[in-house]
Amino acid sequence: MTIVAHLLMALGGLIAVLAGVGLLRFDTNYARFHAAGKASPVAFLVTALGASTQLGWGGTARLAIAAVAMVLTLPVGVHLLFRAVHRTTAGDHLAADDLASAERAARY
Amino acid sequence: MITGFAIACFVFSGLAGTYRLLVGPDLADRIIALDVTLISLMGAITVDAVRRGDESNLILLVVLAIVGFTATAAASRFLVHAAQKGMAR
Repeated sequence: MTIVAHLLMALGGLIAVLAGVGLLRFDTNYARFHAAGKASPVAFLVTALGASTQLGWGGTARLAIAAVAMVLTLPVGVHLLFRAVHRTTAGDHLAADDLASAERAARY
Repeated sequence: MITGFAIACFVFSGLAGTYRLLVGPDLADRIIALDVTLISLMGAITVDAVRRGDESNLILLVVLAIVGFTATAAASRFLVHAAQKGMAR
């Protein structure tokens, strides 16, 4: 396999380790969501990029569809989770909660 | 050898998600832990497809991406519903 594929896949793995460590080490909810919602898709995208150099056009097409599906849907899911937690917990660990006034108006 | 290292990294990320799933103080951490585990599984599937050279189970990634999103969205709606009802968060 070419060195580019090796490097990209190893880099994707390292970014996934970053997501895991972020999930373990951060103490507030929001920090964990941020680490998971941002690092893990990047890890998958870098790995898919490295893998597509090795697989034929069929494999690259499948990886492209999976990457587009993930990039379109994952941020929305993590945002829903952020909003759900923000609306149900008192933001005591937040230094300043700019969203609170808007949220209170939209309270349902 | 390097692809073995990549798969080991994804396994670590999955284990971190599993740990957060078991320990996580509240429901929201468990939801995001499952999401991280699912995405590290997707990465491991990609590397495994390269190692074995066949592309047959790559289509599984699309299914996992869509199912992961639907699960997170449904679980966060339940989170709001549970909080309103005062159920254990």
